[in-house]
Amino acid sequence: MSTAVADVKDYRGRVHNLSSRIMTDWMTQLKQAAASGSPSAYLMISGNCVEILRCFDILPVFPEINALQLAIRKKSLPYIIKAEEIGYASDNCAYVKADIGFTLSGGVGKDGNIPVPSMIVCNFVGCNVYIKWFEHCAAMFNCPLVMIDVPFVREGDRPCPGDVAYVMSQLYDLIHQCEELTGRKFDIDKLREIMRHSARAEEGWTRCKDLCKRRPAPFDAYFDSINMMGPINALRGTREAADFFDAAVLEYEEMVQRGEGVLPEEKFRIVTEGPPPYPYYRNFRSLFETWGAVAVQSTYSTVGGTWEFGFRHDPDRPLESIAEQMLVHNLCNRTLTERYAQIRRYVEEWDADALVIHSIKSCRLFSAGQGDMREYFTKELGVLTLMVESDLEDPRYYAEAQMKNRIDAFFEALQYKRIRGAAHAAAAKG
Amino acid sequence: MEYAAGIDVGSTQTKAVLLDASRAIVARALINTGANVKRAGQTALDTLLSQSGVAKEAVGFVVGTGYGRYKIEAGNAQVTEISCHARGAQLLFPGTRTVIDMGGQDTKAIKVGPEGDVLDFCMNDKCAAGTGRFLAGAAEVLGLSLDDIGEISLRGTQPIRLTSVCTVFVESDILGYVAQKRKMEDILAGVHQAIASRTIGLVRRVGMEAEFTFTGGVARNMGMVRALEAKLDVTLNVSPDAHFMGALGAALFALDHVLAGRSVVPAAADVPAEWVTG
Amino acid sequence: MNYDAIVQHCRELLEMLPAQAVARAREKHPDVRGLAVFPVYAPVEIIHAAKLMPVGLFGVGNKLEISHADSRFQSFICSIAKSTLELFLRNETDGIEGVVFSSICDVARNLASLVKRNAPQLLVEYLHLPQNMGNSGSAAYTRAEFERFRTNLAAHIQRPITDASIAASLDVYNKVRHLIRALYARRKEHPGSIPTADLYAVVQAGTRMMPEDYLPILEAFLSEARRRNPRPRDSVHVVLEGAFCEQPPALLIDTIEGAGCQIKDDDLVVGFRWFQEHVGCNGDAMGALAEAYLHCSVYSSVRHDWRHRRTEGLLRRVQDAGAAAVVFTPAKFCEPALLDYVPFVEVLDKNKIPHIKLEFEEKMWTFEASRTEVETFSESMLFE
Repeated sequence: MSTAVADVKDYRGRVHNLSSRIMTDWMTQLKQAAASGSPSAYLMISGNCVEILRCFDILPVFPEINALQLAIRKKSLPYIIKAEEIGYASDNCAYVKADIGFTLSGGVGKDGNIPVPSMIVCNFVGCNVYIKWFEHCAAMFNCPLVMIDVPFVREGDRPCPGDVAYVMSQLYDLIHQCEELTGRKFDIDKLREIMRHSARAEEGWTRCKDLCKRRPAPFDAYFDSINMMGPINALRGTREAADFFDAAVLEYEEMVQRGEGVLPEEKFRIVTEGPPPYPYYRNFRSLFETWGAVAVQSTYSTVGGTWEFGFRHDPDRPLESIAEQMLVHNLCNRTLTERYAQIRRYVEEWDADALVIHSIKSCRLFSAGQGDMREYFTKELGVLTLMVESDLEDPRYYAEAQMKNRIDAFFEALQYKRIRGAAHAAAAKG
Repeated sequence: MEYAAGIDVGSTQTKAVLLDASRAIVARALINTGANVKRAGQTALDTLLSQSGVAKEAVGFVVGTGYGRYKIEAGNAQVTEISCHARGAQLLFPGTRTVIDMGGQDTKAIKVGPEGDVLDFCMNDKCAAGTGRFLAGAAEVLGLSLDDIGEISLRGTQPIRLTSVCTVFVESDILGYVAQKRKMEDILAGVHQAIASRTIGLVRRVGMEAEFTFTGGVARNMGMVRALEAKLDVTLNVSPDAHFMGALGAALFALDHVLAGRSVVPAAADVPAEWVTG
Repeated sequence: MNYDAIVQHCRELLEMLPAQAVARAREKHPDVRGLAVFPVYAPVEIIHAAKLMPVGLFGVGNKLEISHADSRFQSFICSIAKSTLELFLRNETDGIEGVVFSSICDVARNLASLVKRNAPQLLVEYLHLPQNMGNSGSAAYTRAEFERFRTNLAAHIQRPITDASIAASLDVYNKVRHLIRALYARRKEHPGSIPTADLYAVVQAGTRMMPEDYLPILEAFLSEARRRNPRPRDSVHVVLEGAFCEQPPALLIDTIEGAGCQIKDDDLVVGFRWFQEHVGCNGDAMGALAEAYLHCSVYSSVRHDWRHRRTEGLLRRVQDAGAAAVVFTPAKFCEPALLDYVPFVEVLDKNKIPHIKLEFEEKMWTFEASRTEVETFSESMLFE
């Protein structure tokens, strides 16, 4: 088997090189911070308030990204096992286990790649496991934990009375903590400037995704989106991230003009649900490429924010709009049925042939109940839906033969459906 | 005369079917897969040829299916066993709308269109719960042969209830009942019922539409047939060739290629009656 | 009723499906309907003030065969989520107006969505209980969340739920919690006077009847329990931790106590015993409930409170109970319990307190392996 790292870098187009460059710059900053001890903070990807940290020049650290990188480099398993040795269960989230195992192995700290956080910002957006994860980290590092409890969107698609005020009052706490940590006063004009960068990146990201409505789609909105999720979620609020998306739009618009797609031939357009199996990222992608299947939209790319539906950070209402984004405008803090509605829009507006659900054991936030999602799409909407299972971090849950069998059978069925449809159309014509 | 072959390389057994241009089965082969998957495929094909006396050159196309399908050197193309079981079941039972395929590793529920096309399918999740392997585990704990447990289960009058259909827990569960001096047939009836309910869960996912055709190795187990029929409240179509269904479907796909250049396509109904039991 | 009759009565109630328990209650209160409460905590006072019976949902996996829900939930999902969904998919909800879930874990959250989609005739409420206890906005938020619940409930039953009726319900539940605390204290002081399996049945049965009917049962049971004073056995005194949501089969509890352990404190049915002291009302019952949630809740794996860490909570519980060891009983696949196990074990090891872990599932009926483990564990401690 080829190594995933080489494969992932073997990328199509400028976007990937650019993404890889700005992410590497950030990684270098992390390593420098690890050595120097300059201020840094742990943060969760989903609905994050990275803008506030940036306002104080506190370097954001995302344990999810650390775990993801371990998996994609095929290094996660020993760390997962290390965590299991101290009592984590085989049924616990493997992101948590890989990160904790990595930390216990000296990956975090002066000689590692990741700085010991000056504080831990637990922006609890949807994922309950995160609270435990960050509690464990705070206990390990003996550093302050700032809780930002973001009430779940539990009535339709908007916050309940009191939610925005509650989140804002916690953001004030965070600002206060940042002031104490850095000895600096909060500068709202700096925050506005940062938010302008955020909004520009969000606009670019949206335009990229919109281009996938075209046939053929210029990039794979699942697999290639991963390269844009770093800039939009982790580097959001920087000029570099905003510039990155301007460049991405340019490249994809050119491709659309040339009628060029991400694959030599786009045969099937799919929407994907759930995170990818990072330990076998390249293999998994190729199972779809073989069939000429391109993801034109994905829910995973919206864990940080559902920008494609119009929300932008607003420099004129800085804290309020940060609170709103954390509450409402991201996938993780919305109900499963709101997710059905999101996917339905994807299938309809992005004109997809089918839905593919990758159900992962680690993340119940994503996966618990996806059988019902399958039920809804196949039975109520008549959308052909495939559900496959593995994990986003733990390689032990990926069975290549089973996976290939299911994916092949699915596209055989789709292909047959298409051939038959064409035959019937031809017969009707006479 | 032109022929087409289908080879289904499964984890334990390799099945092969040779069809003539009229879709009649000319030969069948059943061998243990063993460690060398490549060789198993070749041996199966050789067996077909020697049995039928058909020359190698007369076989116009070979389709491989099953987990080992990419390892068959003689294979001209590969199709998943999901598509193959649907195709095979539709040939033998043209009214088939749902196929339940139960093999050693997988259980599948397949929703089938009138032309044998796959409309939807569902398979058991990653654990082996509710598959042939689970039955094998139960047989082993009880010290019985896998071939006998179906018949024995039919004599059960007060089936036990299993805690779960987890292959790991089944052993302690069964031993618990043995310790309670529960009858062997009641324990086995419970085991079959547990798998049947789990299978119904799969069938429900693709939609419960009659007729139901039961395929795969476990379809030879009468206990399983009856347990499924009781849960579904219908009679299942079961062919004595149930375990050849994947190979048969593969051979049909192969025959498509062979016949591609011809205008006369035999009708699906032209099936010799001796293949079919109701 | 004497001791055994009470226990027997409670076990009968627990054998029923939630709808059957409501039907039983309606024999005495013909107008009463039920509102199901998924673990862990819910403001039952508001439900009761709405003239509804809060009915504990602890999973029915040992009563219903799971034949629909496993097509919706994967194999790695806990059994209480599956059996609860099964109950609603099968419409086993006669006399039940709806169900309330809260933000305990990711599975419960998605389960709420699934129930709402598949049982549209029911009122399905989801409470986001605060995870930040110490912010200046926490009290206002918690109160607003409880008020929202009251408003939705009142709209559904088309009757107002008055402050006075909530205050009256708070009074009833204060008495219930007081009596349960007294029972727990009795067991702690006189181990063996109430076998835990009995206490468990009596406490859990409280979620299957109107609290006003439950009070005399609790009073009678307490006075019966106070009369019993069996000779103490040679056993290891333990605290049970981890079964706060899905409830273990009573046989597991019996197995633990039959294999050389004496349970002195536990977190069984903890959502219905949530407040550790009397909740004063002072004319503002809703405010009192919100304040109590923030400042008077028991430590729990489903509630973040960095002011009082759960590791300290467990340690204090062990010390207060005079226990020598901890038995962890997480439900299989229960993420909050399994994740908390790690820091719990760390703090126990640091304090040289032995521990053992026994995972369970609703449908389990044989605990031979657990018995062997517990016996070995207690022998190792007794003969040290």
